[in-house]
Amino acid sequence: MLSQWLFYAFATVSVLGALGLILSRHPMNGAMWFVVTLVSLAGLYSLLSASLLFALQLIVYAGAIMSLIIFIIMFLNIQPADIPDEKGKWAYLLGGCLAVTPIGLLLLKIVSTLPGGEIDIVGNGFGNVKSVGMVLFRDWLLPFEIVSILLLVALVGAVVLAGKKEITQ
Amino acid sequence: MSQLDILLVVLRVAFGAFIPICFIAIGVWMERRGAGFIQDRLGPNRCNIFGFRFGGLVQNLADGVKLIFKEDMIAGHIPHRFYFVLAPVLVFFTALVSFAAIPFADTLVLGGRSYIMQTIPFDIGILWFLACTGFAVYGIILAGWSSHNKYGILGGLRSAAQVIAYEIPMGLAVVSLLVVYGTVNLSEIARFQGQLLFGFIPMWGVILQPLGVVIFIVAAFAETNRTPFDFAEGESEIVAGFHIEYSSMKFGMFFLGEYVAMFASSAIIVTLFFGGYQIPWLATETMVAYAQPIAIVLMLLLPVITYYFTNWIRKNNVSHYYRPNDPLVREANVYIKICWILAAAVELILLTLVVINPSADGVRIFVVLLQMATFLLKATIMCFVYVWVRWTLPRFRYDQLQKLGWQILLPMSLVNIFITSAVVVALS
Amino acid sequence: MTVKIKTLERQGSTFIERLYLIEVFRGMRTTFDHFWRILLDNSKSYVRHYPEVKPEITPRWRGRHRLTTHDDGTVKCVACFMCQTNCPSHCISIEAAERVDGKSEKMPVRFEIDLLECIYCGYCVEACPMDAIRMDTGIYSVISSERSSLVKGMDELLATPGAFSEEDYRKRGL
Repeated sequence: MLSQWLFYAFATVSVLGALGLILSRHPMNGAMWFVVTLVSLAGLYSLLSASLLFALQLIVYAGAIMSLIIFIIMFLNIQPADIPDEKGKWAYLLGGCLAVTPIGLLLLKIVSTLPGGEIDIVGNGFGNVKSVGMVLFRDWLLPFEIVSILLLVALVGAVVLAGKKEITQ
Repeated sequence: MSQLDILLVVLRVAFGAFIPICFIAIGVWMERRGAGFIQDRLGPNRCNIFGFRFGGLVQNLADGVKLIFKEDMIAGHIPHRFYFVLAPVLVFFTALVSFAAIPFADTLVLGGRSYIMQTIPFDIGILWFLACTGFAVYGIILAGWSSHNKYGILGGLRSAAQVIAYEIPMGLAVVSLLVVYGTVNLSEIARFQGQLLFGFIPMWGVILQPLGVVIFIVAAFAETNRTPFDFAEGESEIVAGFHIEYSSMKFGMFFLGEYVAMFASSAIIVTLFFGGYQIPWLATETMVAYAQPIAIVLMLLLPVITYYFTNWIRKNNVSHYYRPNDPLVREANVYIKICWILAAAVELILLTLVVINPSADGVRIFVVLLQMATFLLKATIMCFVYVWVRWTLPRFRYDQLQKLGWQILLPMSLVNIFITSAVVVALS
Repeated sequence: MTVKIKTLERQGSTFIERLYLIEVFRGMRTTFDHFWRILLDNSKSYVRHYPEVKPEITPRWRGRHRLTTHDDGTVKCVACFMCQTNCPSHCISIEAAERVDGKSEKMPVRFEIDLLECIYCGYCVEACPMDAIRMDTGIYSVISSERSSLVKGMDELLATPGAFSEEDYRKRGL
């Protein structure tokens, strides 16, 4: 019962955070709203007893990546005059919502007509460090390594691009 | 839930919440008196209540009262007041909750049920600590940014870059440690360190991971923004850094947060590398089995320690200039009496333990209390190391800091992971 | 005076010093020695317990000013304005009048020193031809809660006695 209420709370807060990210004008406000979303997502993971994912969400996304983004925002030192004047923001938003509504309704319809499948509740221990590590490094070793090489390539590419610009100047 | 369960939960949470806060007083006191002693001064020792100075601890009370009653002002040029107020709260609370995952005694077994001696029984242990230190940097960034001040922004930028740079070696040092311990759960890590290596050396992290200790402690110093890495507030170049616009208790929160973070990271260093609550050569089961001999040894040791301690008080708690009817001697006499009364009370408790031969529960509680005392003693010593390093080493230069982080600590921690994994694989 | 040149050996280039960690521990040993010494016996600290134990003031010390008198108690000052003219911070103001007791022709009726302006340079003492103003009271801490009381008038300057004997004052070697 408590976990259900917690789920509603976290879900609402994460949606509110996402809304805040879109609607806030100042980039710092947007980033802080996004932190709220990430933390409530971590809460949702913990409700699923995925403790490793919970910790990684907090360490990597909320802790490291977002603080880098905020670092950049701070570094750019954005003044109120620098923020673009968003004319007709609300009209665009309303129009977008109206445009998306039929698709949303369609999706709801599809989901509600899905046949009720058998859902297995996995035991509480499935999300801890050891089991995730076992799955990742035993069953999915090759995809995992490929993804990590992809990230490395992206990293090296970014460094090369940044370096090139400096030389041409 | 029985009443005992609820009582133990309350005790646990109280320990997790109050001990770090109490350690603020001890940390500040240790810092100021320690700085004095290291520089051949005496440090603050004048504040008193009815002539009782408690070695200068009363100064903290005076400073706290002053901070609380100062005018709490927010400068008019600050546009984002919400973040400005939020920042000190974030710094303080992330430091406070990072202590929650640290076990302060072995599992207490009462009437066949076991209770974990940890504020919140986390599985993820050390990961929780890393997450909390990652969040603490938000407080500093927000404080620096929302202060709308050059020095504030510079302090925030420096701190953010530093914490991000040092989180990586810290995390990698933890990885090599996890290879050794085979778990992220801090309770299990502490229990692991109760074993003996070759039958006579305590299996502490410091012996299994000598390189990891150095990397982790250096990174922990950088994460807590303590000298030699306190660039965020480098007063000689950026005045006070991120807390330049703060006054009154909002500044106080930053100040207290620093000491809570210092205590929490001391506790985590102790848990990971110095055996946590373990007393060397006395694992929990050994202590339970030999509770009475241990109690007798303690009973013999206690008067000796009290004798030397009271002698030390009598020697040092005097005025160093002529003063008729020296009030400090009177004060010292009261302290000495208190010491002997306390010692007598503890002796009495130990005597009942020896004579009455209590139930298994009583012995367990005795062991847990001993382990809690050991843990606090170790954490205090580690806090002293923080103070000691602060008053020994000058601040680095900023490029040296980044060079140390990226070019020395990061490769070293990677090498450490390879060596550790190779050794573990070879041995298993 | 010949210039002495002392070449200091440059430290910090050997391998052990570049490791830094060992040097850190050596530094920590030094600081711990100090800590332990004071902890065991805090009378060994190099501290003066100030409000109770005052520093020793030598006759050369330039403390608060005073005006000296003849043996019969009359003021030595002849209102020549030497000190006022010499004062780099313009803290002395004198008003002269005719002297009737026959010691000299002029005497001050008002002699004020603004201690908030004074920089304690001692030029007034050196300029005085009559040895009428001295800075030998040994008062080094002048505090007040209002500005007006820090402008010292003639009565106060005359009332303060010197802290040293005449012999010691002469020997101060100026």
